[in-house]
Amino acid sequence: MANDKTSLQLITRGILSENPIFKLALSMCPAVGISTTVMNGFMLGIAVLFVQVFSSVTISLFKNKIHPRIRIPTYTLTIATWVTVIDLALAAYLPEAYAKMGIFVKLIVAFAIITMRLEMFACKESAKDSFWDGLGMGLGFLVGMMVIGLVRELLGSGAILGYDVLGFKPLLFFILPSAGFFVVGLMMAFFNWVELFYKRSRRG
Amino acid sequence: MKDIMTIIIRLTLSCMLAATVMGVAFLVTNKAKKHNQHVNEQKVRYSLLGYSEQKPIPESMTLHEIYRYIVTSADGQSIGYLLPAKEGFIFVTIDLEGKMLENKPVQIDEAMVREKEERDKVIRKVVGSGKDIAFADQTIVVTDNGKRVAYLLDGKFTGFKTFIGVMLALDPQFSILGLEILEHEEDPGLGAEIKQKYFKNQFKGKSFETLKKLEVVKEPMPDGYVRALEGNAAEADAAEILKQYVDHDIYALTGATISSRSVNNGVKGIVKKFAYRLNILDSVLVEQKIAVAF
Repeated sequence: MANDKTSLQLITRGILSENPIFKLALSMCPAVGISTTVMNGFMLGIAVLFVQVFSSVTISLFKNKIHPRIRIPTYTLTIATWVTVIDLALAAYLPEAYAKMGIFVKLIVAFAIITMRLEMFACKESAKDSFWDGLGMGLGFLVGMMVIGLVRELLGSGAILGYDVLGFKPLLFFILPSAGFFVVGLMMAFFNWVELFYKRSRRG
Repeated sequence: MKDIMTIIIRLTLSCMLAATVMGVAFLVTNKAKKHNQHVNEQKVRYSLLGYSEQKPIPESMTLHEIYRYIVTSADGQSIGYLLPAKEGFIFVTIDLEGKMLENKPVQIDEAMVREKEERDKVIRKVVGSGKDIAFADQTIVVTDNGKRVAYLLDGKFTGFKTFIGVMLALDPQFSILGLEILEHEEDPGLGAEIKQKYFKNQFKGKSFETLKKLEVVKEPMPDGYVRALEGNAAEADAAEILKQYVDHDIYALTGATISSRSVNNGVKGIVKKFAYRLNILDSVLVEQKIAVAF
């Protein structure tokens, strides 16, 4: 199956029409668990972006060498390798951020979105396309995490990026994990509404 | 069958490839990580002594590191200390009765002494063949214009789950200047509270005499005391309150009595053993007229 999309289309697809969080509803645990602030969402998003891009390219390069019966273990191994690399790098160069989110970085191994992209895309397409697809999906996740983080940080602690903007805390509830689901749900509805609106306006 | 073989070979190969990548990443990042750790330790040390970036440590103060080794030979064990002399380093071995056995100069430079492997290698050479050495712990003696002002001790003891690593600052009379928990794996929300100021600062100011019989009590902590320990009370009030409780036992953490007790016993053990060893070392140094840097 040859890929007929350009690199730009692959990236926008990851961010908009197939956004991992809002459209595919994959990897919801981290989306709910860590997106309490914009910064947290951004850091985890960056880590996922790296792992996704590196894993996609690796699998795509070795796609002919992977025995079909053991492809899932091989994917997991690849992801685990890159997660370890990112984990080590973060621990060494950004120790303060790592102290806050170290445990979530290790969890990336089990993120459904990465395995799914390897299975759906990277194991069939060329390394170049896989790179763009990984980048798009990673960016989509990053953007999703940041948007959720923005809403939760603003409503939960009245701040953005740690700067107090509202001067009061509107709804403490939004800091709690369960509120993550509310925000994700609202965001999904919003994205669907935007898409619907866009389609309708184009039609008529 | 052929299928299985290819699967085995490919999986093995991919595992090896993955291991190589991870190994390279480890080698690249390890140095930076070690450096961070060192910087962090240094920061903890200074903060225990009451200094920070805003209030840097005065020039007249110096930190001298003492490394303790256990030397095992055919005729029993002895304790070896790697000490900074007036110039260079010396390795003094003391038998279990407190008599000096040997005093040998050690050729090692300041940077190398901090690397455990390098240090072990040099010391192994110094003690000679037929003897085995094991690194026990390291102590830092802080001097101000040549006078001892504090000791910094590293220590590790068992907690509720795994080991708890701490750093202690003592004054020359072995009263506790500060306690910092460096590493632990206690339960979040329960035992992990040992890291909180309201627990660890309880040890601050306990004298050696008080510490010897310090216990953990299961009583609710008075509000004023908590505020003072957390640093939320006005300075004059806080000093007053802290003084009131200076000889009081340690208040256990709610739901984490075992962790609280472990820290209490651990700190007690570290300080008591250190005081005992230092007295022996000092008397040996005086007796043998060995000049050291601290």
